[in-house]
Amino acid sequence: MEKKLRNFNITGMLFILPAILIVILLLIYPIFSSIYFSLTTKNLIRPFYDFVWFENFKFVLTNPDFYKAFVNSIKWTFFSIVGQLFVGFSAALALNRIPRFTGIYRTLLIIPWAFPAIVIAFSWKYILNDVYGFLPNLLTQLGITSSNINFLANPDLVFIVVVLINIWFGAPLFMVNILSALKTIPSEQYEAAQMDGASPLQVFWHITIRHVRVVIGLLLVLRTIWIFNNFDILYLITGGGPSDNTTTLPIFAYKVGWGMKQLGVASAITVILLLFLLGICFLYFKLLDKWERDDR
Amino acid sequence: MVGRNKLSTALTYVYLTILAIVSVFPLIWIALSSIKSSGEMANYPLSFFPKEVTFEYYTRVLNDLSFTVNIKNSLLVSFSATVITIVVSSLGAYGIVRFFPKAGKKMTKVLITTYMFPPILLAVPYSIIIVSIGLVNTWTGLVITYLSFSIPYAIWMLIGFFQTVPIEIEEAAKVDGAGKMRTFLQVALPVVAPGMVATAIYTFINTWNEFLFALLLINSSEKMPISVALYSLTGSEILDWGEMMAASMIVILPSIIFFMIIQNKIAGGLSDGSVK
Repeated sequence: MEKKLRNFNITGMLFILPAILIVILLLIYPIFSSIYFSLTTKNLIRPFYDFVWFENFKFVLTNPDFYKAFVNSIKWTFFSIVGQLFVGFSAALALNRIPRFTGIYRTLLIIPWAFPAIVIAFSWKYILNDVYGFLPNLLTQLGITSSNINFLANPDLVFIVVVLINIWFGAPLFMVNILSALKTIPSEQYEAAQMDGASPLQVFWHITIRHVRVVIGLLLVLRTIWIFNNFDILYLITGGGPSDNTTTLPIFAYKVGWGMKQLGVASAITVILLLFLLGICFLYFKLLDKWERDDR
Repeated sequence: MVGRNKLSTALTYVYLTILAIVSVFPLIWIALSSIKSSGEMANYPLSFFPKEVTFEYYTRVLNDLSFTVNIKNSLLVSFSATVITIVVSSLGAYGIVRFFPKAGKKMTKVLITTYMFPPILLAVPYSIIIVSIGLVNTWTGLVITYLSFSIPYAIWMLIGFFQTVPIEIEEAAKVDGAGKMRTFLQVALPVVAPGMVATAIYTFINTWNEFLFALLLINSSEKMPISVALYSLTGSEILDWGEMMAASMIVILPSIIFFMIIQNKIAGGLSDGSVK
């Protein structure tokens, strides 16, 4: 019996061993090595470096460019996530109540999700181009603007535009997941509520929201992290410009690490980024745990 | 009451139609622009549909700019990463579900946490390590870094699928004298096959679309995956808009087709409770 039990665990270990090795080698070890490099003067090209304790962190935390990037990151994440949730949730509710063509609409609405970052950038840069672009020309033809606007070079407009593009890209993920959660709500609950004479708003709040809030909470956690960390969409559309107006923390770290070759400082920036995300997630998960307890 | 219902249903359709147009427009615009003649693209006012259809951008992109090489690179890298990911992750996910169900919950939490690691954070040690082991500018190096994000996600998806395999059919196999590995290969795997295909496709799309690691680790143009190869030519006056649209069309097609195939599978994940 004892031998059998041990056998059992050895086979089990063999199954998960490759995965554990990869997680340790590709995720755990690099994180610690990043923390180590953040305490050094590691350079992209020069082979030698010194250990300088928290000098990089001091340098970063007293740098106004860091705070600008930090604020940009928060703005970029907050407005994108709110917009994605709003569009995704409303689209899911709409798809859930129409009697016909649900499949076709769902398929069409999911398309932005399949866009690779390079194609998001190419297509929107072309649509928004001030000379050949569809949108600036359309606005001028309709008489809304007197001459073609250069959306991506205008420091006042560029942020709104990239956030809207990000909402366009990310809303389908919210929609698909919320829709599949909506489908699990038993219809008897709606019927019972109607019999009790509940108002549509009450039904929405007490039945719909209550059923999907855990899924929405999880989506918010995962997508907040993803958008906060996102590098390629923004970098490929704007390169962080004009005048660093769309430089978020990942782009800032890239510019410092690979543009200025200071990998040590770049590591310090990314370590701060990770600590901030861990803090946010801690708060999110506390709230989610509470919701899940309430649901039981 | 019925009238009001009809009106609100009609408004719902209007809303969805607007969303659908905005969602699809860039794809349609890429497709139409990629076959318009260059004269027509610079015309005022802009014409929506091409008056004459041309495929010159496609031939130029594929032949003169030799993007076929980069497409092959992308296929090779994504395919290798997907195969390794699926093998490692299905073993791992099955192992967690069958042998360590309790510890598995903690492991899933660890996996979700790895989702939090910013790619740019991993990029620093990766670029140092990959150089030091001599894998810079190689597909092997790139595939290794892709496993960092594809394996945790694939395990996470697959755990959900393996949980749906009834333990009874595995026990029946055991009674018949099948070993652990045979039970896994011949009993559990066939049940989760559709889920595995979906996971594989999702992995393929994610690696096909990846940009940052490829940008940092590959710098010779004949080794570049397609996304970085395209990026390296932007702003250099080599690519004009028509060629960019033709190239975009080529890059996006596999993604779109695969997405259509698995669109019902990627939805379930969060609400099936595999995350909790």
